[in-house]
Amino acid sequence: MTHMSSLHFFVIRHSSFTFSSPSYLAILLLLPVLWWYSYRRLAGLGKIRRWLALLFRTLVIVLLVAAAADMQIVRSNDHLTVLYLLDQSLSIPEEKRTAMIEYVRDEVHAHRHDKDRAGVIVFGRDAAIELPPFDDDLQMGSSIESLFDPQATNIAAAMKLAQATFPENAARRIVLVTDGNQNQGNALEQAQVVAAAGVGMDVVAIRYHTRAEVAVERVILPSEVRLNQPFDLRVVLSSNCDHKPGDTGEVPGRLIVTKIVDDQPIDRTEQRVTLPPGKKVFNLRQTIDSANFYTYEAKFVPDRPEDDAMPQNNRATAFTHVAGKGQVLLIVSQERPNEYNLLAERLRQHGLEVVVRGTDRLFSSLAELQIFDTIVLANVPRVTSDEVSFSDEQIDMLVRNTQQMGAGLVMLGGAESFGAGGWTGTELEKAMPVDFQIHNAEVAPRGALVLLMHASEIAQGNGIQKQIAKEAIKTLSGQDYCGVMQWNGNEQWIYSQRPVEIAQYRNKLLAAVDRMVPGDMPDFEPAMLLAEQGFAELQNKQQVAVKHMIVLSDGDPGAPQAATINRLRAMGVTISTVAVNAHGTSESQNLAKLASDGNGKYYSVNNPSKALPRIFQKEARRVSRPILYDPHSSFPVKQVSEHPMMSGIRELPPIQGYVLTSKKENPLVETVLLATKPGGEENTTILAGWNYGLGRAVAFTTDAGLRWTPDWSGSAAGDKLFAQIVRWSMRPSGGSGNLAATFEPLEGKMRVVVTALDDKNEFLNFLTMTGTAVGPDLKKPLGLGIEQTAPGRYVGTFPMHEAGSYFVTINPGRGMAPLRTGVNVPYSDEFRDREANDALLAQLAAVQPKDGPLGQLIENPDATGKLLEFNTFRHDLPKAGSSQEAWHWLILMASCVFLGDVFIRRVQVHFAWLPLQLVRMRDFILRRQPTPALPQYIERLKSRKAEVTEYLEQLRAAARFELPTQAPVDLKPIDELERVPHAASEPRTTEPSPAEAEAGKEEETYTERLLKAKKKAWEERP
Amino acid sequence: MPKLVTTWLLPLAILVLPGCDHDASSIGHVESVWGRQGISDGRFQTPRAIAIDHDDQLYIVDKTARIQVFKTDGTFLREWSTPDHANGKPTGLSFDRDGNLMVADTHYFQVLVYSPQGKLLRTLGGKPGKKPGEFGFVTGTAQDSQGNVYISEYGEYDRIQKFTPDGHFLLQWGGHGSAPGQFARPQKIVFDADDHLWVTDAGNHRIQVFDTAGKLLKSWGVQGSKPGELYYPYDIVLAPHDTLYICEYGNHRIQKFTRGGRSLGCWGYQGRGEGELFNPWGVVRDSQGRLYVLDTGNNRVQCVRDE
Repeated sequence: MTHMSSLHFFVIRHSSFTFSSPSYLAILLLLPVLWWYSYRRLAGLGKIRRWLALLFRTLVIVLLVAAAADMQIVRSNDHLTVLYLLDQSLSIPEEKRTAMIEYVRDEVHAHRHDKDRAGVIVFGRDAAIELPPFDDDLQMGSSIESLFDPQATNIAAAMKLAQATFPENAARRIVLVTDGNQNQGNALEQAQVVAAAGVGMDVVAIRYHTRAEVAVERVILPSEVRLNQPFDLRVVLSSNCDHKPGDTGEVPGRLIVTKIVDDQPIDRTEQRVTLPPGKKVFNLRQTIDSANFYTYEAKFVPDRPEDDAMPQNNRATAFTHVAGKGQVLLIVSQERPNEYNLLAERLRQHGLEVVVRGTDRLFSSLAELQIFDTIVLANVPRVTSDEVSFSDEQIDMLVRNTQQMGAGLVMLGGAESFGAGGWTGTELEKAMPVDFQIHNAEVAPRGALVLLMHASEIAQGNGIQKQIAKEAIKTLSGQDYCGVMQWNGNEQWIYSQRPVEIAQYRNKLLAAVDRMVPGDMPDFEPAMLLAEQGFAELQNKQQVAVKHMIVLSDGDPGAPQAATINRLRAMGVTISTVAVNAHGTSESQNLAKLASDGNGKYYSVNNPSKALPRIFQKEARRVSRPILYDPHSSFPVKQVSEHPMMSGIRELPPIQGYVLTSKKENPLVETVLLATKPGGEENTTILAGWNYGLGRAVAFTTDAGLRWTPDWSGSAAGDKLFAQIVRWSMRPSGGSGNLAATFEPLEGKMRVVVTALDDKNEFLNFLTMTGTAVGPDLKKPLGLGIEQTAPGRYVGTFPMHEAGSYFVTINPGRGMAPLRTGVNVPYSDEFRDREANDALLAQLAAVQPKDGPLGQLIENPDATGKLLEFNTFRHDLPKAGSSQEAWHWLILMASCVFLGDVFIRRVQVHFAWLPLQLVRMRDFILRRQPTPALPQYIERLKSRKAEVTEYLEQLRAAARFELPTQAPVDLKPIDELERVPHAASEPRTTEPSPAEAEAGKEEETYTERLLKAKKKAWEERP
Repeated sequence: MPKLVTTWLLPLAILVLPGCDHDASSIGHVESVWGRQGISDGRFQTPRAIAIDHDDQLYIVDKTARIQVFKTDGTFLREWSTPDHANGKPTGLSFDRDGNLMVADTHYFQVLVYSPQGKLLRTLGGKPGKKPGEFGFVTGTAQDSQGNVYISEYGEYDRIQKFTPDGHFLLQWGGHGSAPGQFARPQKIVFDADDHLWVTDAGNHRIQVFDTAGKLLKSWGVQGSKPGELYYPYDIVLAPHDTLYICEYGNHRIQKFTRGGRSLGCWGYQGRGEGELFNPWGVVRDSQGRLYVLDTGNNRVQCVRDE
């Protein structure tokens, strides 16, 4: 089989070789020349050696040419990998989504061949690998485990992921299970890319009957709502009911409008309405009588459920903000709800509106925070109890509320705050003007934490263990030590041989946690011994103030020895235990006893994924406690810079303690107060503030009139300071002129139109207007570029991918206060489709893969079982092959053969030694007397030696210039010589007698002759 | 060249050099290896107990709670699952005198008795606790010549309870600890021809032998990894000529002993290749004298011929 640029040869089944640069093979045409030349030159070697040498030379040339032609070894196989792409977006009814899973499971079981692999990718807006390709039946439950966003459909993303997921050494097929209603990406374009790579595609069509549908499209509020001024709330509804002949197609139902403040409904109106086919707008008159943030929710409930296929789109919301005077949200710990009542009272006396809320009633959306100008965290930990904590999303909201919405954020100190409150490593730490970790061990003693992970019996146990171990490691300070233990063949540390310092090894430890594969631990004893050894080594090396161990287990391993626990306790180690899904009494009692013996706490968890991270964060904080500076004596604070927060305050009472932090290396940080103990400036910040994005953040590391600041309670200076801290941090207020924003959805984007007027209703032009939008996920700020398009008219857009609340802050510049507003996208595009996209499904199935047949369009809407009549594991696609370069092997082989060629030509092998060796071996085996050497052989050797000696002598004689020594030179007159011409020309034939010859041989060795010649030369010297 | 080194020389060196030490005391050689990870028929997901019936059929339970039956050459025959396994999976299998399979349903504190075809015949226990007839984590069962049933357990109360053939409690002994007669995870119990009960006291790394009244007859074994030492003995097989084989979970090997506790040699060491083991849980012996080692960490069975 020949390709354009390569030659391909089949050798054996599934294996072949090919040449990437076949033109070099032409060199082989010169082989006959080599044979002709070599055949003549090698004539002296004898017949066999000559042919062997020729063969070897030929081989060397062939191998070198093959290497130059870039020979590749190609292996192909009959294996097939099928990836099922399951559309799990919300446009598909839930029962169909569940049926997809069953179909895939049954299909793989029914048709997969032994070596074939099957995998599953699920997709919505994005795609995720639910099960990687594996040569076995699929282990899928009834629900999807992967995280993905079902509020859109992006078939192209799933295809792209599939293409990247396929293993190389098998034929590839995609089975796309979808309704074809894509609203992101271009599936057809991607299908052509995939097909060009030789990937086959079957399409399983998901169909549903055309549905009657009613939707609340929008709720519209005026851009500006003023106190006690009536305004119209408009609700836009649409009806898509297909009316039959004789039917008007009207849908009767109830329209319910609810006014919501702080997540609580405060007013509800309900009216009966009848929707004709098409759109209809309802106006409702409303009035607002107090400053706050208001959300209006409109909901339509049809009288006949069959008139509405998708109830998800029967609800829409809108919100508006009515500004009042500055409000403060004071968040306190639910365990000490009245701790800061006095502070709240003093702030109110300074003209601020203060709302006190416990950590058990935290905010759930960014909208709730908008009525507050500053949020104060008053000595609250990240995790208050097993059930109550700040989620990552809530922390993110707090930070975005400051960074992008311009609100203030103040953190007050205490034993549960800053690093001691488990806030290390969170987004909140980034927003604060101080770091919560201490890098100086002399200031804050070190802690050591050992995690013993054993939860292999529970479902998803390994994933959960990794998650919580990471949370615990992230919570620790850099100076702390941490070690993680598991059973993997035997008891072992997952990284290094002992607990390691977090500052240096945090990332390596986290990476090791990712690789962790804990097995069945028979009992806790060896692990406890290992932990004891680890703690002991630390104790010898470093001063460790807090030593703590957390055991996570399903209660399966046997209990450790009491003596071991006693030794750990004597070292100051505390042990907490966490029983995961430990039903019954035995296992929980074992772990409870271990915690009790170890002076720790026992937790029993039945919902591991939620509760465990909180428990581990809380437990890890035990180790971080040393960052409290609490000397039990008073010491003053000193002001180090002028600042509005200290305006009019000359002197503050002394304090008795605070939370150690580290100064943030940023020029924006304004440090105002420092503690005078334990000294230095690095870790002694008491008060610091900075601008963080559009807002301000303040860190106050001692408490507010409590244990560490008893003298401040009732002190005028203290009260003034707190009031000024809060006021400085608050959202900027003041005239924002007449800014009004309207919103309009436009092809996946939201268009913002801002009208800017001054107090005289004149257009405000040439403003440097900037804006920030935050989507419902509250993660990444969405770009909002604003440009002036007409007098007083500014327009910008931001991407809108999902349903929910979008908050928009518009900063008009020129010292004007920002405009805070927002828009609500009621529901996803997924709820707009009423039937499958048949055209796209057919087009996708009609895309021809390279070198393969067309795929199937599989459909049978009424019976999933009949889908199994179609075999998606058909072996009709091109076989997959993997190629491997062979040139280095060829060079190696050529070198070896070349040596063989040299050997054949230069070494004559004979086997005369063999009979003698065989005889000796025979004698040895039969234990005979060794036979004396064969005389003939010795004689032959002697004779051969004589021959060689004689030959050498002749050579020497011919090479040296010496006179014969056997007879004196016969000097005769020249005339006599002329008379006897024959005698002069004949050689001298004087034969010595045998005795003389023998004597001559003995006397005249080569050395003697040399000496004689030398002597003679001396004598003849002139 | 690097490939030459990595493909041939390095593995050769790895196999040859350390292999000398391991092979020195080896007592057997591999005849066959079968099984691999998976959930379909004939594959394993961390298999943790093995038993063999009179017809040389192997019964294996894994972490999917399936009990799969195989021929000795690895041919899959049939399977069934325990009724409830969300809390945890069985860890012990043995046959009673009637040829029925007794399954230690560890995390449900009970013993399930199945016919060889997988029909659930009866259930013993099921209530967690320390009273007679209540159980902790059940690990193993055995029946004496009189038909009395013995059940071992660990957890808070490491003990052995004895019941009449119809399930009435008779006596119990043991307790958690390392003193003679106490246990730390008695993983496997088995009777010899003299009605002596052999117990693998895994957490104490020893073998204890009792009579039917719970009287300790002998005890041997110390923790370690040298020949003659034990590290988490999980299974035991009594063999002819007063010998026995012990499966060591922690040492990744099978060790042969005289019944007096003198080591006669080892087979296997930690690894993933043929002849290597990773945390084996069980071993059985067929009528031809071949051993079948449940290579748990490698999700397979290795058939070994004792030399």
